[in-house]
Amino acid sequence: MQWAPIGSEPLPPPLPPARVDFTGDRSMFRKMVTKGAMLELVTFGFYRFWLVTDIRRHLWSNTVIDGDAAEYTGRGKELLIGFLFALAILVPIYLAYFLVGIEFERWQGFASTPLFISFYAFGQFAIFRARRYRLTRTVWRGVRFWMDGSGWLYSFRAMAWGLLVFLTLGLALPWREASLERYKMQHTHYGDLRGDFVGDGWEFFKRGWWLWLLSPIAVVIFPLAPFFYAEFKAREWRWWLDGIRIGGVSVSSELPHNAFYGVYWKVIGWWMLLSVVFGLYLGGATWLVNAAGMAPTGPDAFVRSIPLLVVMVIGYLATVLALNVVMRVYLQHDIWVKVLETLEVHDIGAAADVQGRGDLASALGEGFADGLDVAGF
Amino acid sequence: MTDITAEAAAQSVKPTIFFDGVSSRRRQVVLAFADALEIVEEGGTPILWPYADIRRADSPAGVLRLASTSASPLARLEIRDAALAADVTARCPRLDEHQTSRRGIAKIVGWSMAAAVSIVCVVLFGVPLAADRLAPLVPKPIERRIGDASEVQVKTIFGRSVCDAAAGKAAFTKLVNRLRDAAGLDDDNMTAGVLPSAIPNAFALPGGKVYVLSTLIDKAESPDELAGILAHELGHLKHHDNMRGLIYNGGTSFLIGLLFGDVTGSSAVIFASRSVVEASYSREAETAADTSAIDIMHALGRSPKPAAELMFRITGKEGGSGFTILSSHPLTEDRLARMTREDRPASGPPLLTDTEWQALKGICGSGKI
Repeated sequence: MQWAPIGSEPLPPPLPPARVDFTGDRSMFRKMVTKGAMLELVTFGFYRFWLVTDIRRHLWSNTVIDGDAAEYTGRGKELLIGFLFALAILVPIYLAYFLVGIEFERWQGFASTPLFISFYAFGQFAIFRARRYRLTRTVWRGVRFWMDGSGWLYSFRAMAWGLLVFLTLGLALPWREASLERYKMQHTHYGDLRGDFVGDGWEFFKRGWWLWLLSPIAVVIFPLAPFFYAEFKAREWRWWLDGIRIGGVSVSSELPHNAFYGVYWKVIGWWMLLSVVFGLYLGGATWLVNAAGMAPTGPDAFVRSIPLLVVMVIGYLATVLALNVVMRVYLQHDIWVKVLETLEVHDIGAAADVQGRGDLASALGEGFADGLDVAGF
Repeated sequence: MTDITAEAAAQSVKPTIFFDGVSSRRRQVVLAFADALEIVEEGGTPILWPYADIRRADSPAGVLRLASTSASPLARLEIRDAALAADVTARCPRLDEHQTSRRGIAKIVGWSMAAAVSIVCVVLFGVPLAADRLAPLVPKPIERRIGDASEVQVKTIFGRSVCDAAAGKAAFTKLVNRLRDAAGLDDDNMTAGVLPSAIPNAFALPGGKVYVLSTLIDKAESPDELAGILAHELGHLKHHDNMRGLIYNGGTSFLIGLLFGDVTGSSAVIFASRSVVEASYSREAETAADTSAIDIMHALGRSPKPAAELMFRITGKEGGSGFTILSSHPLTEDRLARMTREDRPASGPPLLTDTEWQALKGICGSGKI
C-alpha cells in the first residue's frame, strides 16, 4: 500500500480502519525471559536493565501498525546509567529525609510519617519521566514519539487527585485517571502531530461503578477477586484505548470484558504450583540436612545452620525468578497480544507524512522509577 | 556500474520501503548495488549507504530492516523480499556488529559479579569499620537530638506517664549514679527513668538515655539483679552502640538493597540477609556490653551473676529453637554461664538498703503496671 501525497486526489471515501497485528513468537519470548531470569540470578539482578530492554524490543518490533512495525531504540546501558544517576540523586535525598525526620520526631512522635508522602510524589514524577524515556525510544516509520510537559506538574496533579480518591474511598478514580491521561496524552507527540485524550471520567465510571460497589464481596470471597480485577482491567484498557488521539488518528478497541480472566487465573495457578514446589523443596532440604547430622543444635548451632539457610535462599530466589518468568509471559506478553488483537486504528492517513521532531530524553526517570520501585504506563 | 540482475530482483512483488528519518512518508524504492548501496526513489536522487555503515535494526520476522550509521539516525530501509534481503546481507560486513553478543553478556555478568563481591566486602568489613570509627565522632548535640526523637517515639508507645514515686525515684537515681561512676561515664546529661509496661525489658537510647520497664523491676528479686541489667545498658552507652547500630543498619540496608535491586519480591531476601548480618553484628555488641556490665559490677564489688539469673528467669532456655543465627542477642544460657564464671563473693557494700529497694519496687505505685 502506498500513500499518495495528500491533496492530489479528490476526497477519497473513508478508508477502512487499519489493522494492528502482533507477529511475535510466544515461545521465543518465553525463552528470552527464561534466559534473562537466569542471567538476573547470576548478576544479582543487574541484568534487569538489559532484560527489560530486550522485552521491549521484542514487543515493539513485532507490533505492526498498518503494515509497518514499530521499533524500540532504547538500550540497556542507558537504563544502567540512568539508574546510577538516579542513585546519586536519591542517596542525599534519603539522608536529608532521615535528618528532617529526626527533627519532626523530636517535635511529636511519628510526625514524620507524612514525609513519606513526599516519596509518593517523587514516584509520580518518576512515572512521568520514565514514560518520556520510553516514548522517545519508540519509533514508527522513521519518526519518533516524544513528550513535553513537566514531571512536577504531573506529580502535583496526581497527588491532588490521589487525595480526592482517598477521601471518596476510590469513587473519584475514573476522573483521576481521565485527568492524568489527558495531561500525559496532550503532552505526547508523534513528530509534529500532537496527542490528546478524549475519554472522560463519567464514561469510565458508568462502565465500572458496580465493581466498586461489589469489591467488599471480593475481600470476603477471595476466589472472586481475580475475576473482579480482570473485569476492571479490561474495562480500564478499553476505555483508555478508545480515548487516545494522535493528530487526526484515533484508536478503538473491542476488548471483551472477560478478556483477562484466563490470564490472571493462569498466573494464580502457576503461583500455587511454584509455592507447592518450593514447599516440597524446603521440606526435602530440611530432611536432608537433618539426615546428614547437621541439625542446628548444640552451642555453636548458628554456624551449623548456615547450609540450610543457603539452600533456602537459593530455592527462594529460584522460585521468585520462575514467578517473574510467568508474570512476564502472561501479564506482559499475553495481555499485550490480547489488547492488540482487538485494536483498530482509524484515519491512519493523517500520519502519512509527519515531520520528525523532538529530542531523546535521558533515562534518569527510569532510574528513579527503578530506585523508588514504582511502575506506570 | 549498476548490477542489472540485482535491480531486476528488487523489482519483485514485495516492495522495498524507505523512510528517510525526517518524515514518516513511506517511499517505495528500488535498490542497486554499486560501491555503496543505492536507494533509488522514482524521480528522486539516489541515496548512498556505504555497506560498512549498514546495521541491522529490530524488525518482525520476514522483514529485513536496516539503518546506516552515516545517515539520519532514524532512517530505515525495509526489505521484504527474502532473496534481495539475502543479497544485501551478504554485502554488509558489519551488519550485526552493534548487537549484544555472547561476549557482551559475559561482560555484564563479570562486572555484576565484581560489583556484588565489592558490595559484600563493604557490608562485611567496610561498614562495621566505618560504624566503629564514626560513632564516637558523632557530635554530642546530634546524638542527643536523635535520642530526643526516639524518646518521643518511645513515650508514644509506652504512654506518656513516667514512674516517679519520690522515694523510689531517689533510690533509682542513687543506683544509676553509682553504676555510672563505676562505668566511668562522665556524661552529665545522662538520664534514666522507669516506664510503666507489661514487658520485662530495659533499653538505652542515643544521647545517654536509659529506660527500665516496670515489669523488670517487679521481677527482680534483689538490687544486684537490676543493677547488672542497668550496667549492661550503660555498657551500650559507653560503646555508642546506638549510633553504631544506626550507621551500620542504614549502610547495610542500603547496600544490600542496591545489590538485589529490583528482582521482584527480593525484599524478603534483603530482609533475611540483613537480619543475619545485623544479628551477628548486634550479638557482638551485646557481648561487649556484657563485658562492660561484668567490669562495672566487679568495680562495685558485686557479682554480675544475679542479673543473668534474672534474664534466665524471664526468657527460659533459648537454644535448640531453630534459627539461632537470626538471634540478635547471645543465648541467655550462654550469658548465664559466662556471668557464673565471673561470679565473685561480694566485697563491696550493698548497692541499695532494704528500705531503698522496697521504695524502688514501688516506684510505679502499688499494683499499677
